[in-house]
Amino acid sequence: MMISFAALVAVVFGIVGRDTARERALYGLKIFAEFVGIGLALAWLLYFLPL
Amino acid sequence: MRTKERGLSGGAAAGGATATAWLMGLAAWAFPGAGHLLQGRLVRALLLGGAVWAMFIAGLLLGGHLFDLSGQEDGNALLRVPPMIANLGSGVLYFYCWATGTGFAEGAEQAARATFEYGNTFLLVAGLLNYLAMLDAFDIAAGRKS
Repeated sequence: MMISFAALVAVVFGIVGRDTARERALYGLKIFAEFVGIGLALAWLLYFLPL
Repeated sequence: MRTKERGLSGGAAAGGATATAWLMGLAAWAFPGAGHLLQGRLVRALLLGGAVWAMFIAGLLLGGHLFDLSGQEDGNALLRVPPMIANLGSGVLYFYCWATGTGFAEGAEQAARATFEYGNTFLLVAGLLNYLAMLDAFDIAAGRKS
């Protein structure tokens, strides 16, 4: 679910955020990696926190 | 004089472009993907519109909840305005669901679903992404973007 969310958001951000096809692809991949990476990092952080 | 003529001519052209841009923005908001499709940008329309449609449908399938002002929950109705604005970004998808009563139920049974909050997030973000797509379509029609 997180992967599909990150992918869909990355597609939109990549298209509206940059001007050339190469820049769009790189920016989209960067956004995707950031969403997934930060999501996993937060999940592990919250796992260890006694909330 | 020449400068004045140029200015008037440029202003008229800009006025025409602005009206078209507003129409494209309206189309992009009302039907996700339409703003780019009407400008002949098929791939961009498919990607942007497809992402918004996919996210909205996924949100509904996950059991998400669409917001309006007439909620059954207790509390201030003003708190429902920001998420409603986000949901309204989906344009005709929101109004179709509103007309058919799809996705507006907020009973305890629906809220108990494990994917309820995920669905809410998908629905909210679908609308917000469509606002971005709408601005992109507007900028292209106004000549600010290629």
